[in-house]
Amino acid sequence: MKKNSARTKRLDRLNERPPPHGAVEHIESFAFGPELIGERFRFGNGLQLLFVKDDSAPVTAYHTWYRVGSRHESRGKTGLAHLFEHLMFKETENFGAGEFDRRLEEAGAESNAGTWFDWTHYHVAIPTSHIGLIVRLEAERMTRLILKDPQVASEKEVVANERRYRVDDDVESTASELLWATAFTTHAYHSPTIGWMQDIDGFTTEDCVAFYRTFYAPNNATLIVVGSVSEAALLSKIQTAYGHIPPSTLPFEDVRPEPSQTDERRREILQPTQSDKVLIGYKSPALGDFDHPALCVLNEVLFGGRASRVHSRLVRELELATDLRSFVSPFRDPGLLEIFASARGTHSAELLLDTIDRELASVRHEAVREDELARAKARLELGLVAGLETADGKASTVGFYEVVLGRPNAAFERLDAVRSVTASDVVRVARRYLLESNRTLVLVRPNKTEAEAAQ
Amino acid sequence: MKPPLVLVESCAALPIVSMTMALRTGAARDPVGKEGLCRLMGRLMRRTGGGRSTEELDVHVDSLGGSLGVDASHSVSGVHGTVITRSLQQFVEVLGDVAARPGFDPAEHERLKRETLAEIVEARDHDRALARSNFRRRMYPDHAYGRSVVGSQSSIADLSLDDVRAFHRESYVRDNVVFAFSGDIDPDAANTIAEQLLEALPAGAAPDPSVPAPTFSEGRHLVFVDKPERSQTQILIGTAGTRPQDEDHVALFVANTVFGGTFTARLTQEVREKRGWSYGAYSNLPIDKERRALSLWTFPKAEDAAACLGLELDLLERFVDKGITKKELAWAKRYLVRSHAFALDTASKRVGLLLDEVMYDLPDGYYRDYTRHVEAVTLEQVNAAISRRLDPRNLIVAVVGTASQIFDEVRAAIPELADAQIVPYDRND
Repeated sequence: MKKNSARTKRLDRLNERPPPHGAVEHIESFAFGPELIGERFRFGNGLQLLFVKDDSAPVTAYHTWYRVGSRHESRGKTGLAHLFEHLMFKETENFGAGEFDRRLEEAGAESNAGTWFDWTHYHVAIPTSHIGLIVRLEAERMTRLILKDPQVASEKEVVANERRYRVDDDVESTASELLWATAFTTHAYHSPTIGWMQDIDGFTTEDCVAFYRTFYAPNNATLIVVGSVSEAALLSKIQTAYGHIPPSTLPFEDVRPEPSQTDERRREILQPTQSDKVLIGYKSPALGDFDHPALCVLNEVLFGGRASRVHSRLVRELELATDLRSFVSPFRDPGLLEIFASARGTHSAELLLDTIDRELASVRHEAVREDELARAKARLELGLVAGLETADGKASTVGFYEVVLGRPNAAFERLDAVRSVTASDVVRVARRYLLESNRTLVLVRPNKTEAEAAQ
Repeated sequence: MKPPLVLVESCAALPIVSMTMALRTGAARDPVGKEGLCRLMGRLMRRTGGGRSTEELDVHVDSLGGSLGVDASHSVSGVHGTVITRSLQQFVEVLGDVAARPGFDPAEHERLKRETLAEIVEARDHDRALARSNFRRRMYPDHAYGRSVVGSQSSIADLSLDDVRAFHRESYVRDNVVFAFSGDIDPDAANTIAEQLLEALPAGAAPDPSVPAPTFSEGRHLVFVDKPERSQTQILIGTAGTRPQDEDHVALFVANTVFGGTFTARLTQEVREKRGWSYGAYSNLPIDKERRALSLWTFPKAEDAAACLGLELDLLERFVDKGITKKELAWAKRYLVRSHAFALDTASKRVGLLLDEVMYDLPDGYYRDYTRHVEAVTLEQVNAAISRRLDPRNLIVAVVGTASQIFDEVRAAIPELADAQIVPYDRND
C-alpha cells in the first residue's frame, strides 16, 4: 500500500509538466514467477514499458520489441525487416556512424538484435550505472535514423553474406527454407525472414525509409526492462527521452491465413553432403492455441533427448541416423512441427521417414506412458527455469510472450498448462496434427561428383 | 581422506543447482594414434553409470528435471549437470554412478564408436568446423593441441575397452578432482556432496597435468580445404599468441580487444562496416595451459575471399608495426573493465571463472584482480607485447572454399607464401 502510494505520487510528479507525448500511467502489476513482480506502464504516445525489478546483479537488461517482423513484408520485398534491423545500428541525427556500438561497448554493454516472422527485438544488457545511455540511444534510433545509399548498399552486402553463411552453404538450412516455402503457399511464413537473395539485392534506400516511417513508432514498441535500476529513475529517463515522439498511424495488417493442407507435399534436392537427410513439417497450432502445450509435450516424448522414442529407435537401436532434431513453432499464427534427421552412412531418406512414421503412428494409436509424460514435462520445466538466470534471459522471456501473446507472464501460465497435460491430450494432438495429409517433406540427396559416383 | 577442493557460489533466486566435477586431465593425454580416447571414455561413462543401461540413465536424469553431460577439452575433462533443487540428492547419486561406477558395457562401447565415426563424417557438412580442424592441425603440428579431441576415423576404430578402462582408472582418482557448485545450494551442503562423491573414487596420484609447449612453424603456410559449390569461404589466419602466465599476457589481451575483440574493433570496422565483405570478422586469443594462437576469423563470399584475405594481412602487419593508440587503449580498458560485470552476473558464471583459474593454472587471482590488471596496463606495455609476441611473417592460413574457383587468387593474396596445400574436405583422417 505504501509502495503504491509512493508510485502514485511519483507519477503525479512526472505528469505535472510532461513532454507532449510523455504522460505516463501505471496499468497493472503482474507476477513473474514465484519471486518477482512486474509493472506495466503506458506513455502518452502509446509506448509501453514492462519493468521487473531484479537486484541479483548490478546490471540491467533494456530490450525494445517492435511489433513488426517478416510477416509484414510483401512478395518481392522479403528480408526488409531483417535488413532494417541491421540498419538500426547506423548513424542517427545526434550520433555519428559507429557511435551507437562504440558508446555501448565503452559502457561495457552487451548488445544485439534479432528478427523473426512476428517481431524485431533489440536487446542490450548494461551495467546499471550507465542505464541513461541506452535509454537515450534507443529513443534516438526509434525516429532519428539517417539512411543513406552507401550505408544501405554496404549493409545489403553484409546481409547477403549472412545469408550465404546461414542458408546457402548450409545443407539443413537450405532444406528448411524449401520446407517452409512449400508448406506455406499463402501466408507470409512462406518466405524466410532473412529474405530471398534477389530481394535483398533489390532493396533501395527508399524501401528502407518507407519501412522505418511505417513501423518504427512508440505505439508499435514495448520496452522490457529487468534489473537493478530504480523505477523512479527509469520512468523519468524514459519520459524525457521518448516523451517528445508522437505516435504513428499503424497500417492495417493484411493477414492471409494459410488454407488447410489436404495432401502431403514432397520435394527433393541435391546437396554437397555425405548422406541423405529428411525434413518433415507438420502444420502445427499457433503459440496461443490450447493445443500448443500438449504438442510440445508430445514433441518431447518423441524427440526430446536421447531417451525419447524416436531418438532411441532411430539413432541408438537401429543406428540409421547421426542427427535428429525437432521444433514446434512458437509463432502468432499456425506454423510447423519441424523434424530433421540426417542418415548414417548410405541409409536412405525413405528409410528414415518410414522409421519415424512408425513411431508417430504408435502415439496416434495408444496412450503414452505416465513416466514418458513426467520426463517430458520435467525437461520443459528445466528448460524454462534455466533460461531465467540472467536479467537478459528474464527480459527475453517477458518480451517474447508479451509481443506474441500479449501476456508478459505467459511463460509461467504455459508451464502450468504443460504440467496439466494428460495422456489423452497427447493422443488428441497426435491424431489432430501428425497426419500425412498435413505434412510437407524435403528429401536431401548427396550431390556426388562424377568421380565419387564412379567409385 | 584429504578434503576436496570445492568452489561454491550460492544463489537461491531460482530452484536449480549446477555442479561440475572437473579433472585436470584432458584429451592432451590421449596417446598418439588413440585420439578421441578421453572424450569417448567420458561419453561411455555417461551412458553406463552404475552399470545401468543408457536408456535407464537418460530416462532417470530427464525425470529428475536434470541435465547431465561430460566435457573433454585438451586440458580439462569431467562431468557437469544442472537439476531442479527438489531432485538434488537423487541427481548426486547418478553423478556418482557415472563418475565412479561406470559399467563400460562392451556393446555400448562398440555402438558409441560407430556413432562417433558417423559424427566425424557428418561434421564435413559444416564449413566452419572444417576450417577449424584443418587450421588446428597445421597450426600445432606434432602437438596435442593439433590433434582432434573427437578423434579420427582410424583412431576411433582402434580404441579398445581396455584403453577406456585404463584411461578412467588413471584419471578418476581423488587428487585429480575439483568440484564447483552454484545456485540453490549452500557451502556446507556442497562440501558434503563433494566428500560423498570423492569417497567413491580410489586414492592415487593424479596424472601429470602438464602439456609441453607447442612449437610454431616458420614462414607463411596455406591449407586450402577444397569443397564443391561453396558460395562463401571460411578463412582462419593464425600466429602464435601468448600463455596466461606470461608477464605481457594481459597487455596482449587488451591489444586483441582493439584489433578484433569487439564489434567496433579494427577488423570488424574494416571488413564488415566499410566493405560489407563478411557478416562476422573477429580475432581471438584463447586461454589454455600453454601458448595458443591468436586467430582471425572471417567468411566472405568466394569472389571477395582473396581481397578480404589481403586486407586482413595488411591490417595485421600494420597492427604489429604501429601498435595501438593511446585513445584506443583508453577505450579498450573502459570496455573490458565495465563489461566484466557480465562475467559475474550469475552464480554459475562466477564459479566458472574460479574453476578456470584452478584448472588452467592461471596466475593467482587472475579473475579476482582482472579489472585491476587491465587498468594497470600501459601503452608501452601493450605495444611491446604486440611486437614481441606476434609475427605476421609466421602465419597459418586455412581456407574452406572451392579450389577450382578461387585457389589461385587466394594463394596470390598471401605474399611470401612458403607453401600451399589443397586438402579434400572429405579426406579420411
